[in-house]
Amino acid sequence: MIDVRDLSIRINDKQITDHVDFNIPRGKIITLVGESGSGKSMTISAMLGMLTTDINVSGKVIYEGRNLLDVSDKDMKSVRKKDIFTIFQDASNSFNPSVKLGRQMYAYSGGRIGDTTDVFNVKMLPVLDKLGLSWDITEQYPFQLSGGMLQRCMIACAFYVEPELLIADEPTSALDMVLQKQFIQLLIQLNEERGTTILLVTHDLDIVAEAAHEMVVMQQGRVVETGTVETVFSQPRHAYTKRLLESRF
Amino acid sequence: MTVKWVGKRMVMGIIVLIIVSFLSFFIMQLAPGDPAAAFYGGNAQTLTAAEKERITRAYALDRPVAQQYVAWLGETVKGNLGTSYKEGRPVSEIIMERLPNTLLLVSVCLFFIIIGSIWLGTVAGMKAGSIWDKGLSTFSIATSSIPAFWLGMLFIYFFAVSLGILPSSGSSDIGGDGGLGDKIRHLIMPASVLILTHVGIYARFLQESIKKENSKYYVKVARANGVMERTIQMGILRNASIPYLNYIAMTIPSFFGGSIIVESLFAWSGLGQLTVKAVVTKDFPLLMGSIMVTGVIVVVSLLIIDLIMYAMDPKLRKGGIR
Amino acid sequence: MRSRKALLFWYIILGLIVFLTLFSSVLAPFGPNEMSMDEVYLAPSGDHWLGTDHLGRDVLSRLLVGGKVTLTVASISVLLSLIIGIVYGGISGYFGGVIDAVMMRLLEALITIPSLIIILVLQAFTQGSMWHMALIIGLTGWLVTARIVRSEFIRLKDAEFVKMAKMFGTPIWKILFGHLLRNSIPAIFVITLFNFAGAIFMEVSLSFLGIGIPPAIPSWGNMLYYAQNDILIGAWWIALFPGIMIFMTILAINFIGEAWKNPTWRRLND
Repeated sequence: MIDVRDLSIRINDKQITDHVDFNIPRGKIITLVGESGSGKSMTISAMLGMLTTDINVSGKVIYEGRNLLDVSDKDMKSVRKKDIFTIFQDASNSFNPSVKLGRQMYAYSGGRIGDTTDVFNVKMLPVLDKLGLSWDITEQYPFQLSGGMLQRCMIACAFYVEPELLIADEPTSALDMVLQKQFIQLLIQLNEERGTTILLVTHDLDIVAEAAHEMVVMQQGRVVETGTVETVFSQPRHAYTKRLLESRF
Repeated sequence: MTVKWVGKRMVMGIIVLIIVSFLSFFIMQLAPGDPAAAFYGGNAQTLTAAEKERITRAYALDRPVAQQYVAWLGETVKGNLGTSYKEGRPVSEIIMERLPNTLLLVSVCLFFIIIGSIWLGTVAGMKAGSIWDKGLSTFSIATSSIPAFWLGMLFIYFFAVSLGILPSSGSSDIGGDGGLGDKIRHLIMPASVLILTHVGIYARFLQESIKKENSKYYVKVARANGVMERTIQMGILRNASIPYLNYIAMTIPSFFGGSIIVESLFAWSGLGQLTVKAVVTKDFPLLMGSIMVTGVIVVVSLLIIDLIMYAMDPKLRKGGIR
Repeated sequence: MRSRKALLFWYIILGLIVFLTLFSSVLAPFGPNEMSMDEVYLAPSGDHWLGTDHLGRDVLSRLLVGGKVTLTVASISVLLSLIIGIVYGGISGYFGGVIDAVMMRLLEALITIPSLIIILVLQAFTQGSMWHMALIIGLTGWLVTARIVRSEFIRLKDAEFVKMAKMFGTPIWKILFGHLLRNSIPAIFVITLFNFAGAIFMEVSLSFLGIGIPPAIPSWGNMLYYAQNDILIGAWWIALFPGIMIFMTILAINFIGEAWKNPTWRRLND
């Protein structure tokens, strides 16, 4: 669905990513694996057109026949609004602290696709129910909820929007083990029930094993290995991947 | 937490008023001559024995200082502020005549300063790198470096002396109808001086708060998800307005100081001009009264700002940590 | 780079003003109180570059001498508030606990009272010399300094090197002066600059109201006090020049203070 080709990012003289190539297949869960500093998050930011102008980006991000690195600001905004939903790592800081969650969740879901608040109220209720969230949270402020709850609020919005692509950038690293498991189950559910394509960025191979169909391994700004999870796990080719897999057990 | 916060602000206001009352009481203690005369207004000789007796009893003048203070505070709270030396009338009466003018000037100025600074600060803060962004800090430093009364003198020279289109002083025409148009014509110059010398610093403060807010995580998340820019900006503005309000609260005392000077320059017949006049003519009861009333105005405006902040900031309401 | 040049410009302006006022007795073409009833309200000309006032006194000479008075009063008062602020803020910040809480509540309350009001009260009883003026401005101008010193002391108190010094049994006065105060200097310097601008503002405002420095002594504020009437008969030069001097002085101080406030800039210059 999205083809990342030859993506190189440079800040001043520092090479952040170097000729990154990978493909996001439609309907699959693909993980981007690597330790911090490997250029995962920067790659995501580049795909979303979120890098500032002083950062040098070259290469292509092909989506529906267009190169997202070249499209106008307006078109990029529309892609971010309609086609892609992004969940970030730090859920407790992902919401405006002084606005009630209901209004913010509306802005993240119904508001993006043009639903009125009435439609939102009707459509969001079953979603919250399914995720084990009470409707009362819409009347609460972010600081009254835990990080795990807030991350579930985010994914509730993703369930509502049913985006073409869900990007989740280390969504569970701020959560404890039990919540992590629950959250990954939700991602799998979203993929299986609604067929949402998911790009999951993580450094945790357990998550990869549990959730993903395919994986891309990054090290120091380069893609060192790609393939289905089964193949990579059973026959790792690159030394770095081998080391990663060994350290897992 | 909530109750504690409101309580703390109330206690603060009371402490301020107590300090102001000490200051005021201290004037009476230092005022030369018979203290009974200080409350009566004239000089001690014109006082009849009965009146003197009454004042001495009311203010506990034959008792220790602490009791005098309590008695005086009691009278003051009742609205009895003594009698002016110079005019021989009750101080409260004189102040009540002046109060509307001061409240008018101060509220008109604060209104335009707040509206203007929110507009300027928002435009400059949201459009990083624009001419507004770069120009505002220079504008703010420059305008806050001009002595307000000097700017006022230049205004008088241009608009009153040279062009003759605005009155040079006063708050209404002598013998005029005292109508609204007349009042506004007199208000234009003092108000624009106060607004011009203050709007920049407030705008700049808001601009910097907005910039700080703009770089926060939740804004990045919202932008990445294509949340409507208008929604994002409203959220930013809401959060940036809390430190902005706090800054207004912190600087409002010096704003009142500035209004005293501007009132004097334009002979705007308000409380500030009255206070200065009381100092110059050594009219101590009048000075005490004006200071107490000014103190009350400052404390009340601070409480209003606190209430607005309280309404804007759910963390204060819901007892989060701040 | 551009801002570096701009800053240099403001340094020069401030230096020039200080130089001119410092040597005013040599530079002034006339005596500041030299009256001449034949030469009242003369517009600026070759003889009197900046004109004369209602008593025929030379505006330029009064401007130079007046600057010395204004800047002296401001300097002394700032020095005084600096000392009070450091002592008050230092005690509050170093000892902390109940002492700190009480001292800070009091400080917050005092900040709420317009300092002009306090000064008006003091002036009502004790209007005196220019030293008096400096004393009064100094006594009311230390609040923000105290707050800055306190927060710096609290920040530094827990710094590693101070803890080490305490562990090695360094005497308390050495910790206070050698460690805490010395490392607070950049912050104190900035607030003192702004305080200086504030003190100039206060002197000119009070003298302008006719309750500052005695009218016989020329100061920028006193000149503007008389200029109020002069301007109504069209003698603009009496009001214009002192105002410009005040404006330029405060502007220069504010720009310099802003530059020093910015920590990245400060680091570049260390």
